[in-house]
Parts: sequence; C-alpha cells; structure tokens
Amino acid sequence: MTVLNRSPSTPARLAPFSNEPVLELRRAAVRARLEDALTALDRGLPLEVPVMVGDDARAGAGSRFDSTDPGDPERVVARAAQAHEGEVAAAVATAGEGFRRWSRKSAGDRALALTRAAGWMRDHRLELAALEVRECAKPWPEADADVCEAIDFLEYYARGAVALEAGRELIQVPGERNELRYAPRGVTAVVSPWNFPLAIPCGMAAASLATGNAVVLKPAEQSPACALRLVEALRAGGVPAETISLLPGTGEVGAALVKDPGVHTIAFTGSMQVGLEIVRAAAEPHRGQHHLKRVVAELGGKNCVLVDADADLDEAVPEIVSSAFVYAGQKCSAAARVLVHEAILEPLLERLAGAVRVLVVGQAADLETVVPPVIERAAKERVDRYRELAGRTGRLVAAAEPVPEGGWFCPPTLATDLPPDSPVLAEEIFGPLLTVEPIGDIEEGCEIIERLPYALTGGLFARDPATVRFVSSRTPVGNLYVNRGTTGAKVGRQPFGGNKLSGTGSKAGGPDYLLQFVEPRAVTENTMRHGIVVH
Amino acid sequence: MDRAQPSPPVEKRVDGAVSNPELEREIKQLGGELHGSFPSALRHPVRAVDARAMEMASSDRELRAALFRFVDVVPACRSLDDVARHLTDFLDEVPEAPPPLEAAMRIAHTKAGRAALGAAAARGVRHIAHRFIVGETPRAALSVLSQLWNRGIASSVDLLGEATVTAAEADRYAHRCAAALAELAAAVRGWPERPMLERDATGTLPRANLSVKVSALTPLLRADAPALGKQDAARRLRPLLVGAREQRAHIHIDMESLDSREAVLDLVLELLSEPEFAEGPSAGVVLQAYLRDSPQQLEQILAWTRAHTRTPPLQVRLVKGAYWDHELVQARQQGWPAPVFEVKAECDRNFETLTRRLLEARPAVRVAVASHNLRSVSHAIAYNRLLGAPDTELELQVLRGLGDELQDALAQHGFRVRTYCPVGDLVAGMAYLVRRLLENTSNEAFISEQARNTPLETLLAAP
Repeated sequence: MTVLNRSPSTPARLAPFSNEPVLELRRAAVRARLEDALTALDRGLPLEVPVMVGDDARAGAGSRFDSTDPGDPERVVARAAQAHEGEVAAAVATAGEGFRRWSRKSAGDRALALTRAAGWMRDHRLELAALEVRECAKPWPEADADVCEAIDFLEYYARGAVALEAGRELIQVPGERNELRYAPRGVTAVVSPWNFPLAIPCGMAAASLATGNAVVLKPAEQSPACALRLVEALRAGGVPAETISLLPGTGEVGAALVKDPGVHTIAFTGSMQVGLEIVRAAAEPHRGQHHLKRVVAELGGKNCVLVDADADLDEAVPEIVSSAFVYAGQKCSAAARVLVHEAILEPLLERLAGAVRVLVVGQAADLETVVPPVIERAAKERVDRYRELAGRTGRLVAAAEPVPEGGWFCPPTLATDLPPDSPVLAEEIFGPLLTVEPIGDIEEGCEIIERLPYALTGGLFARDPATVRFVSSRTPVGNLYVNRGTTGAKVGRQPFGGNKLSGTGSKAGGPDYLLQFVEPRAVTENTMRHGIVVH
Repeated sequence: MDRAQPSPPVEKRVDGAVSNPELEREIKQLGGELHGSFPSALRHPVRAVDARAMEMASSDRELRAALFRFVDVVPACRSLDDVARHLTDFLDEVPEAPPPLEAAMRIAHTKAGRAALGAAAARGVRHIAHRFIVGETPRAALSVLSQLWNRGIASSVDLLGEATVTAAEADRYAHRCAAALAELAAAVRGWPERPMLERDATGTLPRANLSVKVSALTPLLRADAPALGKQDAARRLRPLLVGAREQRAHIHIDMESLDSREAVLDLVLELLSEPEFAEGPSAGVVLQAYLRDSPQQLEQILAWTRAHTRTPPLQVRLVKGAYWDHELVQARQQGWPAPVFEVKAECDRNFETLTRRLLEARPAVRVAVASHNLRSVSHAIAYNRLLGAPDTELELQVLRGLGDELQDALAQHGFRVRTYCPVGDLVAGMAYLVRRLLENTSNEAFISEQARNTPLETLLAAP
C-alpha cells in the first residue's frame, strides 16, 4: 500500500457518500419557500456573465449574447460575453499553469475544496434552482434535483479520487517493488449542455478537478448563468482561479477549445453530431502536441420502453408518461419509443392517450407544470417538424392542447402507426413526442432496439423474472430500468451513460468514471543489490 | 364526550405514554372476553390452513416476495400455462423452496403439468382473493352485506379499481360510486332494524356506507402540486356528496399514502365547509396513526370541527395505516426522514393517544376505531367506558377477510362493528390484496402474532 501524502488541512476521513436529498415538496412549508427564491432572483436579472480566464474576468471586450426565459423570451436572464479566439488560447495556457500547481496537491486537499464547493451549493440551493427555472425552464422538482445531482458529483468524485490516489494492488515478488499510480492528464475542456445546466458541467469538471486536472469550461450558450454559478461555487470552495476558467459562447468557442493543442481531455455531453465532430477534431494532433487527446462523450439516445403482456399498466402508464414528457422530454434519458406486446396494445394505447391529454403544459415556475416550454425557437421548430411528419405518415393519438402562448411550448403528443423506416422512430427528437408500436414478443422488441445506433437508456415493464433476465442480457443500453421510469439516475446508484453511438461508456456517477481523467503509471523498482533485498 | 365532563385520572409515564390501573384492568378483562370468543382453529379448518400459509409466508422473506409477486401477476396472465410459468419463474428465485413447492416445480416440466399447476394456482389465488373481496359488483355483494347486517354487523363498501391515470377513468369511478350509492340505499331499506348499528347520541347512522378514494377521482393528484388534483377531484366528489345526502348514505373519504394526504384532507374539509353540506351527508375522514405528525393532523381536524358545526358530526376513522412499507421505502430512497413510526410500540402508543383524544373530542366528532389489534380495540372500548359513555358512542371497524374473528366477537358482545368490504374484480383487487397480505404477514403484525400463538397477556400488554 502506498502511503497517502496528506497535508495538515486534509480531513482524516470523509463521511461515506450519500445522495443529497431532494426537497420534500409534498410538504406545504417546503413549497412555500420557492416563490421567495424566485422573486429574489428576478430582482437581480439580468445577470452578467463574463469570460473568466484565471483571475481575469472580462465583461465587455468582444461581442455579447443573451440567455432568455424559454417561457417568456422577452425576459433576459443573463447577458454573457462571447469568448473570442485569443481568450480560448489564454484560458488553456492559464489552465496549463494552474494544472502544475493543482496536480501537486494531495487528493485529500482537492477533495476538501470540492466538498466545500458542495457546501456552497447547499447554502445557495434555492437560488440555484430558481436560476434553472428561469434560464432553462426546468420545473422546480427537476431544477432542485439538478442542484442535488451537482452536489452529489462533487461529493462522490472527491471521495473517489482520494481512493484512487492509493493506486491498485499489484503482484509483488522478492527483489522488486511494483506500484500502480494514477496521475492527472492535464487540461480538460468541459463542453456542456443546457438541459442539466448545473449537474452535467459540474460532474465533468468535478471529476477532472478531483483527480488533479485543470478545467476550461465552455457551457451551452443557452445556460451561461448556471455555468457562472458553478465556477463561483468551485472557486468559493477553494479551487484556484487559474484551475477553473469559464468561456461563455456559441459553438465556435467550443470548436476552438477542443482543437487547442494544450487540451488533454475533452469531456463532452451533447448531441451525437457535435460529439462525432469532436472525436474527429481530437484525433488530429497539432504541431507541438505530444499527446493523444482523450474524448469522454455522452451523446444522444433513442430510448425504448418494452412493455410485456404481463406488465402492470397501473404502474407502466404513469412511469412511461413521466419518462417521456417531464421537462418536455429534454433529457437524453427520456423515453421516446414504446414497444408493447400486441396483446395489450389497445389498453396501453388508450390509457397512455388519456394520460397524455391531462398533462399540464405551463410555465416552469408553476408547480402544476409537467411539460414546460422547450429551450428555444429552433427546438420548437424541430419538434413541430417531427410532429407534423408523425401526423402525416402515421397517426397522432392524443395531445395536451392548446398550449400557452408566448413561450416555446410544444404540445405533448402521442403518435402511432408510423412506417418502420420513419425518421420519427429513428432520430432523437429531444422533445415531448412519444411513439407506440406493437411487437409480437419481447424478443422482437430486443431486435428493434439492437438495430438502433443508440444505446443509452431502456425501459422494461414485465413481471416474469425470466423476462427481466433475458432483456438485461440482450439489450446493449447503458442503463436499463425495469418496472420504473427511464430517467432520474442517481450518483452512486445508477452510473449513467450509453454505449454504441450514445457515448464512450464512461458512466458518470459510477466507480469507473474517474479513470477517464487519469493516466496510469507503473513503477517497478529493483530492490535487490548484491544479493541483498532492501525493502 | 362533552368537554365539561371531568377526564379520568391518568398519570404520565416517563416515555410519555399514559398509565392508568383502572383502564389497564378494564382492557385486560375486555380483551380476555373478546379473545375467548374467537373460534379455535379446530372449528375452522379452512382458516387454519390459511393461517398456516400466512405463517409460512411470514417466516421466509424470499418466499414471501415470490408468492406475493405471483399473486399480484395472476390476473395479467393470459393462460394457465402462463400462470404456471410465472409461478415457477418466481419460485426459481427462492434459494430454498419448501418441499411442497419443489414438487410443484417438477410437475411444471410438461405442458399438461403446467396446465394443472396453473389451474391449481389460479384457484388458490381466487380463494385468497374471495376471502378479502366480497363480490365483483355492489349488486353481487348485497347478499353478503345483508347477511352481515342480519348478524348485527354494519359495512362500508369500497369499490376497488385500477389506478386512475385518465379523465375517463376518473369519470368511470365517480359513476360507479354514484351507482353503488343508489343501489346500496335502495337495498338497505328492506333490512331489519338494528338499533345498535343505526343510532348514537348525535343521531341516525346511515345503513348505506361507501368508502371513496380521492386518487381514483382524478388523474391529477400530485404530491408537489396538491391544489391541482384537489380541484379536479372536487368536481367529481361534490355530486357524490349531494347523492349521499339525498339518499341518506354515509360517505367516507379514505386516506392513502402521504403523497396525497394534504390534497385529500383539504379537499374534504373544504367541500364539507360549503353551506350546502352543513346538514349532510354523513361523512368521514381517516387519521393514520403510523404517521409521526398524526397528532397535529388530528388537531387540524378538530379545529375544523370547532369552526364548522355540522350535523351529523364528522366521523374520524382512526387506523394504523396501510402504506407503511411504501412510506419507509420512499423516504429511504429520497433521503427524507421517515414520516412513519419505525418501532411498532411507538405506533401503538400513538394509536392509543389518538384514541383518547378523539373520544374526548365528542360530540364534535364521531369516532370509529379501525384495528385488528386486540389491545388497541380493547383500549378504545375501555377508555370509552371510563369516560362514562355507553358502548353505542364508539364504532369499531375491521377489514373483511382479516378481521372476521374480531368482527364476530365484537358483534357477539354487543359492540357496533363495521366491516370494510372491498368490491371489485380480481385484477382491480390485486393491489389491495397484496397490500393487505404484506401488512398482515409482516413479523410485527398482530394477526401473525396471533397465528404464532403469542400468549394473551403479551397481546394485551400496554405498548
């Protein structure tokens, strides 16, 4: 065993990890606190989001862009500075400097900073959730869960990195000493989406930082203010400014960042298309770049739910509906296709239709709302296109209409009778549209799933344990959920991430995730000298 | 009782429970008498078999889970072969199946064997279900209800149904309730007089009695947005209250899991506050003693009764609560403090505290104590007597199939007992059935303690 190099400030032992409890919103007293938080937030809008390169925060050098409330696009939530090319290079160079110092700290010291950042988030919990309500139209329970997940990532990876620092056991024989240690890789470019605007960038950044890397964060242009809060939390916890930089901006900022030769690891969560571009860009070494870039990618999904003839529809219907329509289906884990045993197609379709019709579409700030607006105009246009196609080539069974005006609202819709080759059944729509298809048996359903390029989440409603075993061994999805919804993975409980074209299989919130951010180094020392073993 | 009446002497024990020698003497005496009236297993061979099956299920967690999952899935099976396949697949998961089940597994290797096994298993499940469910429809249940009445036992009908996830399902349930009210009200007119069952100091007790679930009256009941489901359920509950008033029936609003409690209680109290319902129908709510905050809940209810004097008074049915496992699992998964007592004795003590508070709050409320726990029931009767009230001023309630023996003993001793009678088909009944089986095979359940022949003294000891 290797002795841990602990500095005096390091806590001797972190309490075992447990998930941050979400708000108990079923209690009136807890719900009553939300409105105040939102009012307080609104008073300070719009927020200013600068480019933050080390200690330098530049608010107005280059061009600017706004993030707006998807439920009321007139409301500007944040005014952000768009990072320009020079700032990208400066941020990576600064991170390189920051890496040298940060990587020399013990994992225990780094863990302390991350757990303090988690504490800062706990202290600002409602404020952070309120910001997600406004900037990303996340309904309260979802926004709160996102803040909790961000806290979980900080706490979980902090502990994981301390454990990883001890290295792994190797075979030892007389006369040699073998050690396997994990060293940080260098600078991580974190390119994050808007749909989990705190948790996802936090997870990717926390894993990098916990293991000793420096981070340059390029958040989605739809949620710069949430990203700013993340950087503030990390810095408040004690992560040095040079170790975490923020580059708000549109796609070209991310493109410039991942191409920078000073970047070692790219942690990306987003669409398959952008993910593949990143993989291509990362594969090309630049002049003076003496390392292979590693890409950690979480991409899209076309998530199917299998429903066998013995399923309990009382359970399946609400779970499927919430998996497909909560947060307007804008989760990579959301259910998109129901594959149901033909024996129960009719009752399932009828009950799903009725359940879709009573879905409450509304503003994210209203606790009644299940389906908020989608993130932006382009998203609404995309969802509307697929919906029109589904209506033209298949049948729209039910929808919750009319939807409110003013925001980017899309009516949650249930469609069926689509041709097998329909793009509606193959492509990720990322909106409130769910399709239903009959299957002869579960095996046929598994074959359909296998033919998809994606393998992120899957659902199964079946009560025969033999069916459960069969499907778990047959489907390639990264996360299979049996007799429950397909969303809401918890850190440490459901390591999350997909296979095939859904991602690199790195499993966020799982025991193996940190290995993506380190390079293994083995040291073998000859301990025999003139026939004497010195140990 | 009237508040002017002095409370009997009680002394506080260190743990907060109340000890009163006179009360304890009365409880022991009553409990002994009631227990003496329970039929012995010898005289009820069928029940003895059921009790043994319950005990087997209680003693082995894996087996219990396998059997309950099987019972749960039977209505969804498409053929006898399918039934047999599910049974054997569940039992495959039990590490050490008892010999009779091993034999069942062996015969399932042939198609004919599976058909036979499937038929036998389906029969077994039906047998269990029929013990708890009185009929498929209210009409089919009427003969059982009138037989009970003739034997001096009142009833409350509960319409089992699938979960309500659509507006059409909510409408259908409301319609079934309205039809059941009409059918019951018509049928009970021909029943003979049973003064003990139809009158107390505050007035008439309706013969027709329907229990209603708010979660079935709306697809919009959500824990984090109770107002939404409340409004939607209100428009279906209001006509039922009008119907109950017109037909002189009692309508009781059941309580379910904590997720819906706020919506349910607020809904009922708000509707009953409307001037239209100031003089009827007879209505009631449920108080779940396993909830740690049930004393505050009771105070909320009592405050309401003080602000809204209505005739007849609101009935409060005190129960332990049927969602203990659900509440605990949910709280653990979410990292929330457990909303229910985790120690049985604490729950039992709270049950007695609430019983006393309720009995003392009369005549603002009518009190129904619903329990199969001989100690809890004896305590309620004894305390009522200690307050100087006649036995007619307390109602006792049991569940069909689980409290049959207690029901008979209570009726025999001249107490007013009402049996909660689920009505519905097998598919709809499964969730109810499994919940009851779980509740009553748990190691701490009174019924399984009884099956294990726990000494009477222990059964009647103060919690």
